[in-house]
Amino acid sequence: MQALHFLQALARIARAAPKPAHSARTRQIRHAAYASMAHSSRSSRRTWSRALLHRLRQRQRPGRLLTVRRRVRIVTPITSRPEEPARAETLRQLVPGGRGMEYCNLLEETADYVQCLRAQVQLMQTLLDAFSS
Amino acid sequence: MDRDLFSHIDTDLNSISYLSLNYDHFDSALSSIVSSPSAAPTPPGPNDSLVLRELIGRLGTICNNKSASVGAGDHSANTSCYSTPLSSPPKSLLHPLPNMNPNPNPMPFVPDPGFADRAARMPCFGGGPHMAMSGQLSRVSSSQSLMDAGMTGGVQLEGELPVRENGAGGRGANNGRKRKAGVKGKGKEASLASSGTVNSKISEEDQSAKRCRPDCKAGEKKGGTEEKNGNCSENNNGDRENKNDSDSNNANAKPVEPPKDYIHVRARRGQATDSHSLAERVRREKISERMKLLQDLVPGCNKVTGKAVMLDEIINYVQSLQRQVEFLSMKLATVNTPSDVNMDNLLQKDMQQPLYRSAFSYPNQPQVAPLNSLLATNSIPNLGMQPSSNLPFDGFGNANPQIGGFWEDDLQSVVQMGFGQNQEAALSSQSFQGSGPSSSDMKIEL
Repeated sequence: MQALHFLQALARIARAAPKPAHSARTRQIRHAAYASMAHSSRSSRRTWSRALLHRLRQRQRPGRLLTVRRRVRIVTPITSRPEEPARAETLRQLVPGGRGMEYCNLLEETADYVQCLRAQVQLMQTLLDAFSS
Repeated sequence: MDRDLFSHIDTDLNSISYLSLNYDHFDSALSSIVSSPSAAPTPPGPNDSLVLRELIGRLGTICNNKSASVGAGDHSANTSCYSTPLSSPPKSLLHPLPNMNPNPNPMPFVPDPGFADRAARMPCFGGGPHMAMSGQLSRVSSSQSLMDAGMTGGVQLEGELPVRENGAGGRGANNGRKRKAGVKGKGKEASLASSGTVNSKISEEDQSAKRCRPDCKAGEKKGGTEEKNGNCSENNNGDRENKNDSDSNNANAKPVEPPKDYIHVRARRGQATDSHSLAERVRREKISERMKLLQDLVPGCNKVTGKAVMLDEIINYVQSLQRQVEFLSMKLATVNTPSDVNMDNLLQKDMQQPLYRSAFSYPNQPQVAPLNSLLATNSIPNLGMQPSSNLPFDGFGNANPQIGGFWEDDLQSVVQMGFGQNQEAALSSQSFQGSGPSSSDMKIEL
């Protein structure tokens, strides 16, 4: 599922007018990678996948400034939680959608996110090897 | 005396009812059970009967709901244990069960000394998830077998009714049991004194419970956490394991009579029993369980101990993975050009198969041969005709090396035939079966 989506997106990017801007293509490919991660069947129910998709769509449409947040989430000062270690805040910044989660759920989401990330990296590595061989 | 007796019943029933998940069949089970204690020396008071009802109902539902999940052998063991001195009560208890539910399995009573404790932890109340229920039952069964071996008289729910005496009273005062729902203070004691009624038996029970620690504790703790998880609809497996590991060395836990909607947690001996500390303990166990999960995911974290260092490792790993994604995307942007792709070479079977496996690592291996032919012909309709669910992956697996060339050269030529052609749609939809929503993205723009 994840691979399919990514390959589709890659094909789309490749078919699109080959922009000379290397950075633009890089950005597109990265966007496609994260989108395929979020669309994977395993992670479609996860908080981080929704947050990631939201973030991607947000970046895609810079003109619509007002649609930043449809869901008003009161982000409480989570950093002040006593039970969490000091590095929890860093983890929250890393994992998409980690700001509004409790520490327990954050760990769970991190596990799923790591799994998807690893799969995505393997997929891209394989594609790279295939294309370059 | 009466209250002790029935409080004991209550606790036992409570513990049993943990297994049940719904209370629809209270009345039927209730009536049968209520009638059973008629053999007891004293008739139950109005309050007790009410509690009894609930417990009995739960008991009935336990069998009905989770009977399927529990092994039949365990049930038979359970039932046999209960079919003793007070034969009528067990029968009455068991009878309504089949009536209430299509599942004919007998009620999974666990007549062991730690049963009350374990049962108390079962997340029956509040209709927890089946998973918790079945998990509980299986554990109970296993522990029960242990118990049966250990206990002389066996623990019978009804057997204790008449025997209930000062044991409950003495026992209750011993441990600072924590009762979240506070159904009955006596219930706690009764649950503890599942096998004995006298004070002396209390110690015996504790010892026997300790003897059967690994299983009982596991069952108990699992019950407690599971119940909580059930209420919270979270995964219970981790908690169960946690409880097994962490609680195996604790003293006998105190049974807690959990009300239906409460989170049942067992207070450990020597630990604070207020709700805050209990909730924190459960939370800590959940966190440690998740950390273990992460430890397995992140490579090289087996030797690391401690949450702080683990957290650092996790953060570093996530950062490195994200950096890798960026780096690979950059490389893909430079590499992904049609000129680099050699279709003939890529169509080689040996090349595609390992590529496929490494890329997708799906359990079902692709069928390379038909795809090779299909891809070789560069016929989009053929490619689009693959109906099997494997084929999309197969197509991609085989097309991986070709994607650059295929899509760039051949597909474009084909696409030029018509943007809205069915073949293309078929190709998109069928080749990318897994990604329904993205098929729309696949519109080839020329």
